[in-house]
Amino acid sequence: MRSRTKAALLLGKTIGSLSRSLKMGGGSTLPGRVARRVDPGFVPTMVKGLPLGCVLVTGTNGKTTTSTLLASVLDKAGMTPVHNRTGANLMAGIASALIRESNASGKLAARIGLFEVDEAALPAAVTDTTPRLVLVNNLFRDQLDRYGELDTLAAKMKKAVAQLQEDAVVALNADDPLVSSIGSGLRQKVMYYGIDDERYASGTMQHATDSKHCPACGSRLEYDYYLFGHLGRYKCPGCGAKRPTADVAAAEVEMRGMDGTRCLIRYPGGTAEVVIPLPGLYNVYNILAAMTASLALGIEPETVIQAVTEFTAAFGRVERVPVAGRELLMILAKNPAGFNEVIRTLTAGAGRKSVLIALNDNIADGRDVSWIWDVDFEMFRGRLDNVVCSGIRAWDLAVRLKYAQLGESSLVTKPDLTRALDLGLETIAPGETLYVVPTYTAMLDLRKELVERELVTAYWEGN
Amino acid sequence: MNVRIGWLYPDLMNIYGDRGNIMALVQRCKWRGIPVEVDELGLGDRIVDGRHDIFFMGGGQDREQQIVCRDLLDVKGEAVKRQIENGAAALVVCGGYQLFGKFYRPFDGEELTGIEVFDAYTVAGNKRYIGNVVAKSALGGPTGTIVGFENHSGKTYLGEGCTPLAMVTVGHGNNAEDRTEGAVHMGAIGTYLHGSLLPKNPGVADFLIEKGLSRYGSTPRLDPLDDALELRAHEAAVARARKTH
Repeated sequence: MRSRTKAALLLGKTIGSLSRSLKMGGGSTLPGRVARRVDPGFVPTMVKGLPLGCVLVTGTNGKTTTSTLLASVLDKAGMTPVHNRTGANLMAGIASALIRESNASGKLAARIGLFEVDEAALPAAVTDTTPRLVLVNNLFRDQLDRYGELDTLAAKMKKAVAQLQEDAVVALNADDPLVSSIGSGLRQKVMYYGIDDERYASGTMQHATDSKHCPACGSRLEYDYYLFGHLGRYKCPGCGAKRPTADVAAAEVEMRGMDGTRCLIRYPGGTAEVVIPLPGLYNVYNILAAMTASLALGIEPETVIQAVTEFTAAFGRVERVPVAGRELLMILAKNPAGFNEVIRTLTAGAGRKSVLIALNDNIADGRDVSWIWDVDFEMFRGRLDNVVCSGIRAWDLAVRLKYAQLGESSLVTKPDLTRALDLGLETIAPGETLYVVPTYTAMLDLRKELVERELVTAYWEGN
Repeated sequence: MNVRIGWLYPDLMNIYGDRGNIMALVQRCKWRGIPVEVDELGLGDRIVDGRHDIFFMGGGQDREQQIVCRDLLDVKGEAVKRQIENGAAALVVCGGYQLFGKFYRPFDGEELTGIEVFDAYTVAGNKRYIGNVVAKSALGGPTGTIVGFENHSGKTYLGEGCTPLAMVTVGHGNNAEDRTEGAVHMGAIGTYLHGSLLPKNPGVADFLIEKGLSRYGSTPRLDPLDDALELRAHEAAVARARKTH
């Protein structure tokens, strides 16, 4: 190893152990940031030590779920991944994972790199890691203040994957017209996945629909149906582009509200039933994404299905937290399409729900909160008991709900998350559930609060 | 007495929760017992003379803006301008605002011709102005300020005869040079602020409703509404804007 890389590694390791012992947090980005400052070629040098190469997972929604799921499949298949687990998905986060998982001479115990990558960071990550597989799950309007416009973002991603080696694989969501367009004309192998069951389809677009025009020719897309935001079965009357056939498909999807989802998944050479103890169509996409990536890496279907089944059982429990004889169920919602899906799930069963919604506007959430006006909060009408608005932009949220005319449900605004949590728990009876819907940094703050109350363990302890 | 809103290109020009402005106008009429209707005016739809009291258009991505530009020039632009000269109110945000000026000149490619409701023009800048904005405005209601979020790279310059909507105290506004934000011509307001603008700035919403209704004769006196929550959100957003800059 070059002396410069070695110096970068040692400095990174020192910073990482300092920040952990001072309880400054998981040290998931700072060590990498410093190492890359010392040696800009740090990541390219380090990944050469991975005999099975690198995999990149990107997309607006579900990056963390998909890559965590994929990590457990790789583990089961004996491929031992190094994984930037904590949502630290810029180059510094990748470098930090490599620092944490290597010994002082830079030797990695891991055999494959599995990196969750921010959409905007994909081109840089492709250059630095020369991946054998890139997966793009979806592209939704999320933090446009950081990413620029969606069309531009997709064009940059296409340019990046076109530079991959010829034997690399690109795994794409067939139901997202912007994502599937990345695959057209590539010399690399492309694998598509999608939902082939139109049971939960709708003939009309949600307000949060982001991609309305053909990325290739600009004509307005025609949809047979919509599944989730702009995901669905589409075709272009201009150039004839259409939703590609899915190599891995959910042939049947049965949603059972908050209890989860049963799917029949068809893959080249077989079918398998998977029960996901998590609500929402977006989790079906995450499962399909992880399965497609695993199969593309040559892992046996039986191993994949077994790992997926074990993982999802554990994952379901993480999101549910028992508190004083009550239950707290936390569901992240960070953009209009994701939020609409959460509301759709919460209102699927009978009865009224009590919810705590927490809206932050830190950089990781997106400074701009106007997207709440694209969420169809009106679907909550007559379906809520108590609502607590919280987070830095709690008052914006309260105004949004006022204009949604939710009717008789009681609405309280408490920007302070700790007090909002107490208030939310007070409003429900023992045995009942409080549904907590936070944006990203509000979720981190709430988790921290739950850790302090010793209800869950710190997220970095598992690493 | 009723209010009819003409929502220009709702499916093409709605990039940052712009429809919140429609919700605010509709609810604030309903709460006062004023019947209100919204017509969605898409590509190819013609404007019927005298039918609409308030027009609204939001922002869009570059491609949408080009499509809309063509439709305004071919189908609706002249008519919309005529309605405004005859007393209709209008709110146009971001991309919509740029198309209501004289032109938008990009770095490369074709210049987009505007419909010239405002004596203003826009040129592409090399920096994107993104962030919270606080600005002093006569339409700011009890606080005398408007608050919102800007995200644009175009720089808009107002002509001699064009009144700005507000003067920026936090953020960038029209062009990051002269502290002006937005433009006002008769009952028409152009602005870079979304958030959405109207829910948190009820003074601007009521200005539009009043202007729209005054087409029927003398300016009506709108019943006051309980805006405690809106003003609280306004104050919180102003405080947050000062902190994040």
